[in-house]
Formats: sequence, C-alpha cells, structure tokens
Amino acid sequence: MNNEDALSNAGRAGFKFPIGMRDLGTLFGLIIIFVVFSWLSPVFLTAPNLINILQQSSINACIALGMTLVIVSGGIDLSVGPIAALAAVVSASLMVAGVPIPMAIMAALGVGALCGLFNGVLVAYAGLQPFIVTLGGLSLYRALALIYTGGNPVFGIPPEFRALTNGDLLGLPTPVVLVAVIAVACWIVLNKTPLGEYLMAVGGNQEAARIAGVPVARTKIASFVISGVLAAVAALILVGRLGAAEPTLGSLWELDAIAAAAIGGASLMGGKGSIMGTILGAIILGSLRNGLTLMNVQAFYQLLATGIIIIAAMLIDSATRKNG
Amino acid sequence: MIMSAHAQNATGIEGSVDRLRLEGISKSFSGHVALDRVDLTVSAGEVHGLVGENGAGKSTLLNILSGVLSADSGTITIDGKSVNIKSPLQARTSGIAMIHQELQHVPELSVAQNMFLGRPVKKLGGAIVNRKHQERVALEVLSPLDPDIDPSVPIRTLKVAQRQLIEIGRALMEDAQVIAMDEPTSSLTPAEFLRLARLIEELSAQGVAIIYVSHKMNEIFEVCSRATILRDGRNVAVAELAQTNAAGITASMVGRDLVDASHVSHATDDLVLKVSNLSRGKAVKKASLMLHRGEVLGIAGLVGAGRTELLRLIAGIDRPDAGVVEVQGKVVASNDPRAAIQAGMGLLPEERKRDGIIRARPVTSNVALPSFRLFSRFGLIKRKRVADASLSILREMDLRPLDIDRAIGTFSGGNQQKVIIGRWLAASADIMLFDEPTRGIDVGAKAEIYSLVEKLAAAGKSIIVVSSEMPELIRLADRVLVMSEGVITGELRGDKINEKSMLELAIVNEN
Repeated sequence: MNNEDALSNAGRAGFKFPIGMRDLGTLFGLIIIFVVFSWLSPVFLTAPNLINILQQSSINACIALGMTLVIVSGGIDLSVGPIAALAAVVSASLMVAGVPIPMAIMAALGVGALCGLFNGVLVAYAGLQPFIVTLGGLSLYRALALIYTGGNPVFGIPPEFRALTNGDLLGLPTPVVLVAVIAVACWIVLNKTPLGEYLMAVGGNQEAARIAGVPVARTKIASFVISGVLAAVAALILVGRLGAAEPTLGSLWELDAIAAAAIGGASLMGGKGSIMGTILGAIILGSLRNGLTLMNVQAFYQLLATGIIIIAAMLIDSATRKNG
Repeated sequence: MIMSAHAQNATGIEGSVDRLRLEGISKSFSGHVALDRVDLTVSAGEVHGLVGENGAGKSTLLNILSGVLSADSGTITIDGKSVNIKSPLQARTSGIAMIHQELQHVPELSVAQNMFLGRPVKKLGGAIVNRKHQERVALEVLSPLDPDIDPSVPIRTLKVAQRQLIEIGRALMEDAQVIAMDEPTSSLTPAEFLRLARLIEELSAQGVAIIYVSHKMNEIFEVCSRATILRDGRNVAVAELAQTNAAGITASMVGRDLVDASHVSHATDDLVLKVSNLSRGKAVKKASLMLHRGEVLGIAGLVGAGRTELLRLIAGIDRPDAGVVEVQGKVVASNDPRAAIQAGMGLLPEERKRDGIIRARPVTSNVALPSFRLFSRFGLIKRKRVADASLSILREMDLRPLDIDRAIGTFSGGNQQKVIIGRWLAASADIMLFDEPTRGIDVGAKAEIYSLVEKLAAAGKSIIVVSSEMPELIRLADRVLVMSEGVITGELRGDKINEKSMLELAIVNEN
C-alpha cells in the first residue's frame, strides 16, 4: 500500500473545489447507473423521471447532509429517524390545533435542535460514544413520538402547508430546491468556515485538535444539532407530501443516510467526507430504487441491489485508495 | 577512517559469512527515489549502526527488510541464501525481527498473547489457543531479560522499556538471526539504555546480527562496531567506528560540517509568565517558575521526572490539583487550552503524531487551526490569507518541500515540527512551550530548530524548552530548571549549565 500517496491525495483532493477526485469517482458511478438504466428502460432518462428521482432522493439527501457533518467529526447519528418522527408529530399536532404554520415549522426545527443538543451534550461532556448515545436516542425519541400521539397518526394537515412542500420552485419541486440550498449551506460550513475546519480536525485527531485550541465539545455539539435540525426538515417534507404525521415514520433513515455519506467518500473513522459526494451518494441510491421500480423488480431484490451497490462502492473506494 | 561504500563491498569481512546482505536495494514512491542501489552487510554477531538524516532512507530500508514494503529491485540474502520477502510474516519466518520505534502491541491482551500474536500455540486440533503453554514459553524467554515481567498481565501495564524487552523476547523465541532496532531508546531512561546495551552485547555473542538505528551518536559509538551511512537514499560510506568520531559521521551524514554555534542570550527582565505551586498528583509537585521576555528557559530531568506533565499543565491541557498560571500578571484559567492560547501560549507537544498534527489535513489547515477566527471575515475563512501567511512563515523556516497544500502526514518529522511551530507564529503566540523539540529529528533539522529558537528569542518571544538531551539545553537555554520526581530541584545559569550539575540535580532524590 502506498500510504504517502493516499495521504497526499487526501490533502490535495481536499476541499478547494466543489468536485475533488473522490467526488469524480462517485459521479462516474452515478453515470454508470444512469447508462445501464436508460438502456434497460426507455422511461428512465426522461425529464419527469429525473425530477422524480431528485424528489425521491431529497429526504435521504437532507438527512445524509447532517450525517456527513457528524461522521466527518468522528461521530455517527443513529437517532435521525426518530428525531424526524418526533418533530413531525409535534409540528403536525400544532398545525391541526390551529397554530400558525411558521410557528409549527419553528417547533419542528426546535425539536430537532433539542434532540441534537441532547445527543451532543452527552457525547461532548459525558464522554459517551456517539454510537451508544444515539442508539439510546433511537429508542428514546421514537418512544416520545409514540407516547405523544398514543401511537396514532396525526391527520388533518392544513392544505396551505401541503401546498408549501408540494409546489414547484424554479421548475423543480420545492423539496429539491430546499435540499439543494441546504447542501450549498453545508458545503460552505464544511469548506469555508472555522466550524468546518474544526469538524475535520476533531474527526482527524481529537487530542491534537484540543491541544491546538479547537473547541472540541462545541464542535461535536454543533454537528449533532445540525443533524437534528436537518432530520426535522426532512420530516416536514415528508409530512407535507403525505398529509399526515405518523409516529413511526423515518424507520431506518439513519442507515440510508450513512450509506449515502459512505458512498460519497465519508470515512466512518472521521476526518474525511464531502458534501458533493454525499449528494451524489443519495442520488445514486435514489436512482437505483427508481430504476429497479421502473423495471418492476420486487422490493426484496431492490434491497439486495442496494446492499450490493454499497459494498461494491466501498470495495472500489478502498482499491483506488491503495493504488494512489 | 571512513571507507567508501564500494571499497568495503569488495573487501567484505574475511573468514566470516555475512549473516545478512542487502544488495542494490532500490525503491521509488510515485517517481520519488527513496533508495538508490543501497547495500548493507552485517556479519553474524555484529552490531551494525544505520545512520542518516531523516529522509535519508533508513525507515524505507528497514520496512523493506521487515516485509512492510517490497523493493523495486535488489536482493536480500541471509547466511548466503537468497530470501524473498514479500510480507511481514515471511520476514519473520526468514529469521528477521524488527523492533519498531513505536511499539505495536494490543494493549488489553496479555504479554504472552502479544508475543504469540499471529502464530498462537493451539491445542485440541487447532480449535483452542493453549494459553498456559504460551505463558510458560513466554516466561522462559523473558525471565533472563527481566525476571519482573509476568506474561499473564495485560501489556498496557508495562513500562515502555519492558515492552521493548518483550519485542526482543519475541524475536528470540522465533529464533531470529537478524534483529533490526529502530530508535530503540527514544523513550528509555539512561539506566534502561545501559541494560539494553548489555542485552545487545549478549545477543551479539550468540551470533545474532543486529541493525541499530539511532540519531544519538553516543549510543551508536557505544553499541555498534560499524555503521552504514545513508544520505538521500544512497550509500555514503561504511564506517569503522573505532577509527572515526561523531563529528566525522555527522559530517558524512549531512555532507557538510555542522557549525557548533555557541549560545547567545536575548533575555530581558520583563516578567511574562509566572507559574506558582502548580501540582498534579505525583507527576508535578508545587512547581513554580518565572519566564521573561526573550528568555529561553530549559527544563532538564530524567524521563518521568514530570517535565512534560508540567508543560501540559501550563498549557492548560491537563487539570491541575493546585497552582496558578499568570501571563502578564493576569491569571489564566486552568485546564483550558483555549484560555492558554488566548493568553499567548503555544505548545509544541512531545508526541507529534498523537498530540500535534492532523495527518490527513493540508499544511495550511494545520497551521491555521488555532487561529482560523483571525483568518475569517463574516464567518468565512479567507483561504488566500491563510495560504499567504503559511507560505511566508514556512518559507522563512525552510519547509521542505514547500508545498502547503500537501497533507502534513507526508512530511518528515522535522518538517512537521516546523509546521507546528509555524502554527504558533501564525497565532502570534508570545510564549512558546517546546516539549522535546528535536526528538526523532535528524542532525541537520536539529540545527535548524536551534537557530529558529534563537531567532524567536531575539524577536522577543519567551520560550520554555523541555529536553532530555543535555547538549541541547546547554546550546539553547539562558537558564535551566532541573526536575526530579515531580519537583523542581534546582536552577542553573551561565557556566553552571553543564551535564554534571544537571545530572546531580536530576537524581538528587534517588537514593
């Protein structure tokens, strides 16, 4: 293995440009999937279907963006699905009760931020491992959502709210535009702000970062809060689409998000990850599902294909890293 | 006398078969030549030094010998038989053992388990590891080396010197004919070094060929009989150590004579840093000191005397039990690295890899880490300003190569050190806390670090240097504090700063 080359690539590919070498690899993977499916199905490469793919990927992409920041800092957030559920049922019930929509949205984001803060404080100050803390959160927030609703879905979402998330903006579905804006914001955070450098440093070598004066605790908390807030955003998109808020929504979202981030080049060891890569990773997973559905492939086999793609992506990743 | 490499090869050593012979070893990394037709010959029972500046190719050569890397060309023969080493396991089965500078153990496993890692003794048809038998064998091997080591305890409970003995024990257990030691004494006390030297003598009497890599010339002369000198990936010479001296070796390592500059003081009377009664457990007991503008304060002592711990307390890395740190008369919050940095302090940690660098990040990020806020406007980092500042600081320090976008992990130790020093210059720190600034750094880079420390002092910075190398303190310090078992046992100035007085104070508490 040529360690030096791997290192210098990591440094060079870096984050100077929106697209680094690793991102080009992910893009190449996406193109291959596109070529295969447009050959197999005439519908795949049509504008409506491509927009459809983006829309279907938007929720996972939104979650995966927050997940990327957490993973870059050396953590993981398994509790995003239940946070989304809790944010969804709280804001939905407020809306049903007649609370103004902006207030209900703020409430959802507040729930997400609070849950993230709780995760972050336990990780940063109690020194617990992120995996365990958010595994606890996974049950805790789900339980809160179920208790709050008695296990029943919240119906009767006001049409004004639904119009907000189901409308079009600049010719694209609003959720797609929204997630694109969030992606740009996350890219700026990771590449242009001190917080981004701190996330990379804490994930790369926490003790060295602390000695160099990086506010380690605040950095970790920030990553979990962002992840929680983005989970709430994803929840709002879903509630708008479905017109109801189920306390059981968001099941296994964390795994899709981790998969998107990993395909996009984030290292679960921390210190490495790319926003562009994560977005491409989410679109890869989305197009795979879309294409297989177009071809009438059974759900069980879709799952199989997803698993194979994730593992193949990781194998290619590690092989190319070794060869410099 | 230093013979040229080729003359030596032609002659060989009469009457004895070379135990290990490396011939024409070449290795390139993506176009960069690390080794160029290097030869190394060690006869049975010989202790052979391998010296050269960092980046001269010593590590690459050892990695090839131990199967971590494979050579592009060249041959390796053991006792006249050509061997093909493609993996660490093949190196071990060929009788080559490597004692790494940074010992590689599984901390929670027992001594015996670590010794048998990768080739356990099995019973019941291979299904179960026979721990009892492993521990018995381990004890047999280890008791002559150090009777105090219990093979059943977790290896993390042992001292570094003992863990090194375990590596040697493992080599003996596997019947190694060649043992390569990479900087074996970097964390040993002088007493531990003496024991190691005696052990090396015994090994050589048994016919083991030993390759000894070290930056410390006195050790090379004490332990080895011959030394191969590498420079820029090439053989420079093979030296008969009885017929040359340290200055001669150093000169051929760096290809020039090092000017042994004398000490110049820039100290003033301006009190900058005042430390009162700083304590932490048994490591540091009521340490007090003062540091003035432009002053270089050395802290001497044996390994384990509490010097690193004291520095870490001052820098806010660890929590003190008691004591106060004041900068310019203002108390600095304890156990808060950010407060210390705010007050103008910058720590150059002893463990560079663990505590200093973020390996995969570019030089610029490593430089600007404490000062990104200064380099930002409206919350956004001004990359160009970071790059300009890094470039001008590191050009001044002669970073090699001067490529600030490269990951810091790809640089040599000395150059990584320059980047971390540059970090504190970029943060405009006034108080530099240097912990073993030249540890694991070659002679050439050492001289550079020395002149850098002097430049900083001349520029009005105040510097504390912790060092285990007394010549270093004599060269650099205006004043030296000596620590022993957590206590500052004395202060030396001017002519009093010499090895004898430092040693006396360092061992004053030991009976």
